[in-house]
Amino acid sequence: MLKAIIVDDEQHCINRLEELLQEHKEEIQIVSCCKTLEEAKRQIGNLGPDILFLDVHLGDVTGFDLLSQLDHIDFELIFTTSFDSYALQAFKFSALDYLLKPIDKDDLKEAVKRVQQSKKLKETSQKIDVLFHNFKDGAGTSKRIAVPTMDGFAMVDVKDIIRLQSDGNYTHIYTISNKRITAARTLKHFEGLLDTDAFFRTHKSHLVNLSFVDNYIKGKGGYVVLSDGTKVEVAVRRKEELIQKLMPNS
Amino acid sequence: MPVPFKRAITLFLICFLPLWGISQENPADSLQQELASHTAKDSVRANLLIKIAGSMTYSEPQGAFPYVEEAISISKTLDWTKGEALALRQKGHLHYVMADELNALDAYQSALQLSHAMQDKELESTLISNIGNIYADLKQYDKALENYESYLAFAESTGNVNEQIKGLSNIAIVYNDTERYTEGVAYLEKALALAKEEGNELFVAAITNNLALAYKKLEQYPKALEHYQDAAALAHTIGNKYIEASALNSIGIVNILVGNYDAASEVGQKALELSQEIEAVEWQADSWKVLSEIYEHEGKMEEALGAYKNHVQLQDSVLSEEKKMELTRKEMQFQMERQQAVADEEIKRQQLVKNGYLAGALILALISVGGYFVYKRRRDALEKKKVAEFNAKVAETELKALRSQMNPHFIFNSLNSISDFISKKDVKQADDYLVKFAKLTRSILENSEKKWISLEEDLELMELYMQLESLRLENKLHYSIVVDESIDPDNTLVPPMILQPFVENSIWHGIAKRTTDGTIDITIKNEGDMLLCVVEDNGVGRSKKVPQEEHKSSLGVKITKNRIDIINHLKNTKGSIAMIDKEMGLRVELKLPLELQF
Repeated sequence: MLKAIIVDDEQHCINRLEELLQEHKEEIQIVSCCKTLEEAKRQIGNLGPDILFLDVHLGDVTGFDLLSQLDHIDFELIFTTSFDSYALQAFKFSALDYLLKPIDKDDLKEAVKRVQQSKKLKETSQKIDVLFHNFKDGAGTSKRIAVPTMDGFAMVDVKDIIRLQSDGNYTHIYTISNKRITAARTLKHFEGLLDTDAFFRTHKSHLVNLSFVDNYIKGKGGYVVLSDGTKVEVAVRRKEELIQKLMPNS
Repeated sequence: MPVPFKRAITLFLICFLPLWGISQENPADSLQQELASHTAKDSVRANLLIKIAGSMTYSEPQGAFPYVEEAISISKTLDWTKGEALALRQKGHLHYVMADELNALDAYQSALQLSHAMQDKELESTLISNIGNIYADLKQYDKALENYESYLAFAESTGNVNEQIKGLSNIAIVYNDTERYTEGVAYLEKALALAKEEGNELFVAAITNNLALAYKKLEQYPKALEHYQDAAALAHTIGNKYIEASALNSIGIVNILVGNYDAASEVGQKALELSQEIEAVEWQADSWKVLSEIYEHEGKMEEALGAYKNHVQLQDSVLSEEKKMELTRKEMQFQMERQQAVADEEIKRQQLVKNGYLAGALILALISVGGYFVYKRRRDALEKKKVAEFNAKVAETELKALRSQMNPHFIFNSLNSISDFISKKDVKQADDYLVKFAKLTRSILENSEKKWISLEEDLELMELYMQLESLRLENKLHYSIVVDESIDPDNTLVPPMILQPFVENSIWHGIAKRTTDGTIDITIKNEGDMLLCVVEDNGVGRSKKVPQEEHKSSLGVKITKNRIDIINHLKNTKGSIAMIDKEMGLRVELKLPLELQF
């Protein structure tokens, strides 16, 4: 049985989650529902939950503020939020779990399942590190992403990624330190994740960091030569847009 | 050979006879006095100048040139064409007597042009005759004959007997030169008759002499002798020693030919004396020849040798004289030919230059036309690009506007459904519905910003939408989505929510109105470079009572039609919507340009 704490400043949201969790009462027991940051901080310290359902908006403060005030995080974290693209991207970067409000019972079921499977709490704090890193440093290029790999997570600076290459449901990420990280996510996932101004999908199997493009060689679609010497094919349909990105004033 | 003599007599007749008359009436001295007193540069002075030059034709032709040049310049200043032509003709005469036939021809032809321009037939006629002389000298007998005949014809038309005589004589001389003596004799007889009629003894003497020559050539020696004697007698009467000497020499030669040495001897001495008197070297040579033969015949070998020596000596000088003339003739011919060649060359060159310029101009024109077209094409392309970019911007803005219209439309339909649940007091269903609605709305909001989304995503949206509607219709709605294997839904792009209005129509107007369960089938196929999307239902279909064209399109369908129109405009494609009534339900065929992401 997992102990859960719900943190949300709106009573009807707490009510809804409580009601939905009724279906999972065999696995999860709600030990506390908090409506303020202070209360939540106290209850976490007192009760030592296994799961924290955390709303991003807590009146004037945020859920992130709560996390930053905790000495250590030894619980699974599931954010809850309504439509908020800023927060959503942050979650995606740090590979943290989140539920969108109004919460769908099927989505909740999936999230609970993931919590039950996951035992590596150390990773959670790593992910939260990534989250905070990204919040502290607003500039897009120095963002860091938590990349789910076969055996855990790799933290990668976005600005260090030269290119990404698709390999079925996996993606190889090549960085400036000559490292190759194989991620258990599709290239499409990364395309959605990474800044569209800095990265460009040149081909079905290739996503490149435009700041590492040394040359563009003409051809049917042509190809780009990256600073690590690799040649990456450009699809015919992507050629024009690529040239526009490389030479915005032409 | 008496040819030079004959030529001399002939030319005498043709050109200079009238001038003699002038010079006799107005001696050069009196003319010079008149000129000195008349300094005004007018036509009177020009006339005087021409006259003076005419009087100097024989005495000092070289000195006469300044007079004609001044006459030409005065006439030009006065725009007096006739004066200019007359002066030019006189210039031609001067050149002619100086054996400069080339320049003579030049001057005559200039004069001819002027007289032709002012329609002075008389002047034109004399010039044609003068030019005929030159042709005759150059042995271009056909041309000479042509000119003389034209001259004769004009003289006959005006009734000028003297000119007729000259024309006839000249024609006869050409015939004789070309050894057609019979014709020559005929023309000379005509000329002689006219001359006798006129009482012009000089003409009669000269023509008789020429006739005699022709008879001699025809070997009719008695007739020849007879005429020569007539000529000699007449020449003696009028005191023309040239003709007399020539005739006497010829009498001697003919007498020798017929073996009458006594008669020959008689005239030979006389001819020699006359020839010596007038310093006619050629005739002296002829005379010495006659005498030499006579002495030989009389057995006076020493005298014969002496006479022959004299003959050869003089003959040499005559020959050299003749050779000189021949040389001049040859040179002239050569020069004329060269001039012709130069002129031809010049014409060719000018033609070439002209052609060159033409070709150059053409090439230049082509290049500029080509350049202009390249420039125009480039400019047009840029213009087109600009227009296209502008159109694209307009169209994109329109599309955005349409998409934003789409959302509230869809939202209100969904809100209706929720309201429906609530009114039925089905709270659990309303909640489920609401959650799915929220999810769908979120997806739509995310995707409506995009111009194109992958077919896979769009079909996921459609499925979510149909799930939602299925909930609303209490599971009365079943659906299937089939994508042809040749299509990669992840790599194929479609405008977001493009099928939604048709699905909505099928549900609301087809399935919802059925009493039993209904099915919606979505099929996606490849058709050439188009993507065929079919939405088919087995609902109640459109009302059969209303004619097809009067069916009102729903707002969503109208918006979709506009969206496809804009896409067609932007991509120059032929996307279309076809709504086909089935026995049961409706089939919508939507054709979109096949867009691939990669």
